[in-house]
Amino acid sequence: MSVLPTAMIGTEFTVATHDLSKHYKYVPALRKVALQVPTGAVYLLVGPNGAGKSTTIKILLDLLRPTSGSVEVLGMDPHRHPALVRANVGYVPEQLNWGYGWMRVGRLLEHHARYFPSWDWEYAKHLSRAFQLRPDQRMSTLSKGQGRRVHIALALAHRPPVLILDEPTDGLDPVMRDDMLGVLIDHLAQTPTTVLLCTHHVTEFEQIADHIGVLRNNELCAQMPLHQLKQGLRRYRAEVPTGWGGKAMFGAAVLRRTTAPNEVDWTVWGEQDDVAHQFASSGAFVRDSATISLHDATLALLNPRETVTT
Amino acid sequence: MLISVDPNDPRPIYIQIMDEVRRALVVGTIGADAALPSVRQLAGDLRINPNTVSQAYRELEREGVVEVRRGQGTYVVQANVNAAQRRALARDVAVRALRDAHRNGLDVDELIQALRAAGLQQLKKVSRA
Repeated sequence: MSVLPTAMIGTEFTVATHDLSKHYKYVPALRKVALQVPTGAVYLLVGPNGAGKSTTIKILLDLLRPTSGSVEVLGMDPHRHPALVRANVGYVPEQLNWGYGWMRVGRLLEHHARYFPSWDWEYAKHLSRAFQLRPDQRMSTLSKGQGRRVHIALALAHRPPVLILDEPTDGLDPVMRDDMLGVLIDHLAQTPTTVLLCTHHVTEFEQIADHIGVLRNNELCAQMPLHQLKQGLRRYRAEVPTGWGGKAMFGAAVLRRTTAPNEVDWTVWGEQDDVAHQFASSGAFVRDSATISLHDATLALLNPRETVTT
Repeated sequence: MLISVDPNDPRPIYIQIMDEVRRALVVGTIGADAALPSVRQLAGDLRINPNTVSQAYRELEREGVVEVRRGQGTYVVQANVNAAQRRALARDVAVRALRDAHRNGLDVDELIQALRAAGLQQLKKVSRA
């Protein structure tokens, strides 16, 4: 169906799903998803609301059972080894309501520390300082941004081999976001970690991420290293003769097209030389072929469309 | 040495870092035995993945521009930029300019002519100042 790659080969995966499907009653949430997060990767999972991102994460943490298919985290089935998997995963949920509203921040850190043998108190204190957390504050009185930072600190302080972050910058102001990125980068520089990151804000993580998976209509429609996406998905501007019939030649490889009578501006997936050759052999003249931003690439993947102008 | 990268540049980030180091050598802001910022430091400053910085440093080491001294950091070994490297740098700049010219429907001759004229004008401006 898709001309875009959805499988990676020759790599070890720390997080993987196989033919993963989930139905709520009769509503599909995931259809045969084969997620592949390479060891040491920072993997961006993107998709519109309801595409199945959070469902995938919940299944990885054994908070939900799949309808069919299987999942693997660090080589383990989370349903058979729930405690072991959770001990090795730092998880920042999208919804922060954990029912700990009465706890003070410091108490929550202590509470959390007991669950994780690898908890690093010195690092936890460092993170608390970096995030300006006040140990005497009750969780229920925290703003969304403060709550988010408490959870990020909880997830990082035991230096888990796997981090699963669901919208980690949600509720953070621009300065907090930047601080959070700085903390995350510093963490990655010191601790070998595989990161699965769900977000709508791809631009924020463009320079940190190295892999991307795109969920559309509950299916994985693309999955690849980011550099491959940047290389392969390009914007071509070409001059075309009047009545040009090149449209049929490209098929599904064209994700976005803006067409004027003698000019086209297309976002096309493919080897640059092949695409240019195809344009040329159809009588078009490629004026420009350029890489596009991750933001534009994501839009093209999630929402292919055609525009005709005069 | 100041290193900056641009996410909208078509060059991959690790290539941009390599080019920045080469640029610093050509303009002379770093010399032999100069230490590059640590991977952790540079990744944090530029807000990029530490692996990207490591990759850039590894490639520079492979080219013999820097060397990684275990436990100490990454140091410049080859300080004086030779003519071949200057030519390579000039070629990169030329290719970028050509691509831009092509996009605007200009050919090589038109670009060269415009470059000469613009260069002369720049020279006048400098001598007047």
